[in-house]
Amino acid sequence: MTMDRRQFMLATATGVAGLAAPTLLTRCAAGRVREEATVPQLIDLAPASYFESQFGVTPELMREVIATALASGGDHCELYFQHSREASIGLEDGAVNRGSATVDLGVGVRVIRGDQTGYAYTEELERESMLTAARAAAAIADGPAGSAPKSFAVQTLENFYPTASWWSGISVDRRMPLLDRLNTLTFGLDPRVKKVRASFYDEDRYILIADSSGRLVADRLPMFALRLSCTLEDKGQIEENYDAVSLRGGVDELKDERIERLARTAVDRAARNFGARKPPAGELPVVLAHGSSGILLHEAIGHGMEADFNRKGISIYAEKMNQPIAGKFVSIIDDATVPHYRGSINVDDEGSPGQRTVLVENGVLRSYLHDRISAAHYRVPPTGNGRRESFRFAPIPRMRNTYMANGPHQREEIIRSVKRGVICETFTNGEVNIGAGDFTFYVKNGYLIEDGKETAPIKDFNIIGNGPDVLSKVTMVGDDLKIDDSTWTCGKDGQGVPVGQGLPTCLVSSITVGGVDA
Amino acid sequence: MARSLEQIAQHALDTALAKGAAEVAVRVGRTRFTSLSFRDRKLDKSEASTSSSLTLTLFLDGRYSSNSTCDLRPDAVADFCDRLVAMTRKLAPDPHRRLPEPEYYQGRSERDLGIYDDQHAALGIDRRKELARSAEEEARGASDRVISATATFYDDVSDSVRLHSNGFRGNYNYTSFWAQVESSVRGDGDKKPEDWSVVGARKLANLGDPAPCGRDATLRALQQIGAGKIDSARLPLVIENRAAGRLLGHLLQPLNASAIQQKRSCYADLLGKSVASAKLTLIDDPWLVGGFGSRLYDNEGITSRPMPIIEQGVLKNFYVDVYYGRKLGLRATTGIKSNLVFSGGQGGLEDLTRGVERGVLVTGFIGGNSSPATGDFSLGVRGFLIEKGQRGQPIAEMNITDNLLTFWNKLVSVGADPYLYSSSRTPSLRFDDVQFSGM
Repeated sequence: MTMDRRQFMLATATGVAGLAAPTLLTRCAAGRVREEATVPQLIDLAPASYFESQFGVTPELMREVIATALASGGDHCELYFQHSREASIGLEDGAVNRGSATVDLGVGVRVIRGDQTGYAYTEELERESMLTAARAAAAIADGPAGSAPKSFAVQTLENFYPTASWWSGISVDRRMPLLDRLNTLTFGLDPRVKKVRASFYDEDRYILIADSSGRLVADRLPMFALRLSCTLEDKGQIEENYDAVSLRGGVDELKDERIERLARTAVDRAARNFGARKPPAGELPVVLAHGSSGILLHEAIGHGMEADFNRKGISIYAEKMNQPIAGKFVSIIDDATVPHYRGSINVDDEGSPGQRTVLVENGVLRSYLHDRISAAHYRVPPTGNGRRESFRFAPIPRMRNTYMANGPHQREEIIRSVKRGVICETFTNGEVNIGAGDFTFYVKNGYLIEDGKETAPIKDFNIIGNGPDVLSKVTMVGDDLKIDDSTWTCGKDGQGVPVGQGLPTCLVSSITVGGVDA
Repeated sequence: MARSLEQIAQHALDTALAKGAAEVAVRVGRTRFTSLSFRDRKLDKSEASTSSSLTLTLFLDGRYSSNSTCDLRPDAVADFCDRLVAMTRKLAPDPHRRLPEPEYYQGRSERDLGIYDDQHAALGIDRRKELARSAEEEARGASDRVISATATFYDDVSDSVRLHSNGFRGNYNYTSFWAQVESSVRGDGDKKPEDWSVVGARKLANLGDPAPCGRDATLRALQQIGAGKIDSARLPLVIENRAAGRLLGHLLQPLNASAIQQKRSCYADLLGKSVASAKLTLIDDPWLVGGFGSRLYDNEGITSRPMPIIEQGVLKNFYVDVYYGRKLGLRATTGIKSNLVFSGGQGGLEDLTRGVERGVLVTGFIGGNSSPATGDFSLGVRGFLIEKGQRGQPIAEMNITDNLLTFWNKLVSVGADPYLYSSSRTPSLRFDDVQFSGM
């Protein structure tokens, strides 16, 4: 409650957060499971009639709710319906002996007047409850009544996560072998493995957005997350580490190879930290390995480009539009369209289609990340970044999958160029202060670089820098972009949303490394 | 028409048992939340909603699941129970999963925790708006450098019922009232330092005037103008009370029974041993009047009682829930912290700073993390240089790096100035010889 609501955090679960883990069949490929599944077949996207058929929410009722919400005026009103089912299973001490199921159901009503917002929600999709919520949202305005649309036009969408077999159609007993297999694999990799925790989570979310312009958009969003963490013990010393994979997709998106790599990666990351030291304290050249190092972009620039901070003038990037902020080989993209990635969305949570937005083009700042309010403020089209955790929250500008395009350098050449520095490979969390631009990320695994070569392993250190300063110090960008497929969740104003991030191998010429006596 | 929480809970419990559960724990809660924000002298955002939830913990055939739904329609609850029973049956059995033994429910205090304001309903929208508006006005009025200030007044009233099929029954009701201000100011170059201030109380009458928060947020932001890093060095560290809670979180993580049982705790073998300087006495106090973590029972129904965690540096208790307690052969204490209270402190922030020849006053953490298994941690910090006992230039973009097992032994002074707006009532703290990374 007392946290700075303007600090943002990005984190990935480093362990099993309590429950949930599904298991694929021990020998099975994901495809085998699909064959056996009795899955509801989804034709195209979620039909806009889902909430009508399941809960009796008719177009007439939606029009009445919108009319009530606009009874005191306002420029815009939208209803956001959500029905989601989440399930998880967890393995600990060799058994898949915990399960969890969650149902979330409700509608959020938002009224916008200029940049002012009235918001209310209800978990009861009954007429009276929805009208009560509409009246509460209407309190933001005090003018003559606006009008509801005469009818709704269903908007069609591109599908960036076509799903043939939904995890929600796979019963628990057919998920459990996945975790059992992961457990066996992990213990088999290293005799020092003492504990294994694994979990599998999936969500099947229907949404429907109806607004006062008559737009009606529906989507059905899949998501799964497979997490593994392990503890190794060697001569009384303990190390733990993790790996996780999370994608917006069904059974087909969890590849056999990825499951095996999950076990190898978690064990390797833990084993490497026996004998690892702390890096030296102070400013050093830092090489960011490709993949989850995209956390740099998320914290150093992504949040600062969210247009709510810029329209209020409080972001360090507020006066930087169309100015150079990085080398010519730096281009940064926020992209809803990467197939099956965790941050991808067919439509944002206020009805704008998912799209690809170039934030930085050849070193020049090109676009903020907009929601409806900021787009109207800047008189530009929305960029599809209006997202929310659930119907309990009003949408605000958020990232999707944020990554840097490939540059001209090679990984080996980048490492070779560093006389004395560090390379960072595994991350757990980051944070930024928007106005000052200071940001951090925590490194779980890395190596020292001495005379152009990776040498001793290093672990558990924080890196802190200033966004614009660090971007200007990105002096080399590799040609090996990788978008990470881990379980990144971004927090802002108390709302968590799934995101993706990626980076080619990069060199930051100087940044403060949290270490010990230099 | 509307069913009471008791009725909903009893119906869910009966339904789950009828569907085949051997034991059931049910919690039903309902929270009404209102929030009003002022920015640029006008209402920026208004929110008002009522939220309900049902959590159902099932035990059957030695198997376990923990579930929740906000769809409380009787038919939907019945369908949900069908699904849960079918799912739970398929899981692997676990002999340690049962409801708590009823003896854990015994001896519940009947004291008044002072966490429910029965005048809550008398608070109207206009009064809420005025509280937010006046705080924003103060924030803007404190400096002509203010770019944007947002003041939010928010409050909630929450009722819940917990029922267990082996006899536990409890009601837990609370209210809370908060005023929070965020202020951004023009700094050097493109920088726009920002800071926040908050007051909160369980009863509106105890909240006081939130307007000074506005001024505090702006002054704190102004003080950060020109912040930068200094050379890396080992220096004394003073932490302001409101920032210290985050540091405490890293200490508590490995004190949990699940961490110990899963071999991810650097404190696993240290119960009864010295783990910190003798200056550190830390008590988990669920009975604190008006506390934000106050309660009479915990999330498993275990009767809450004050419990020393660390006494004069000696580790006295772990946080042990029923499940991991059974696995470890330990008696459960509680798996969830209530209020954390320090004792034996003296003086305030100025007193702790006064004796420092050259050091750093940390007023906020940013990012960072720790390894509960090894105790290693590294955290981003901001604050001020201390020179000859005085607060000097503002500092940002630095890290502190240490290990929990050595760090808490460097604690040399504890203030008597607990931060009142959190369940972790941290005072200001001073440590010697801490590694700072900067230039």
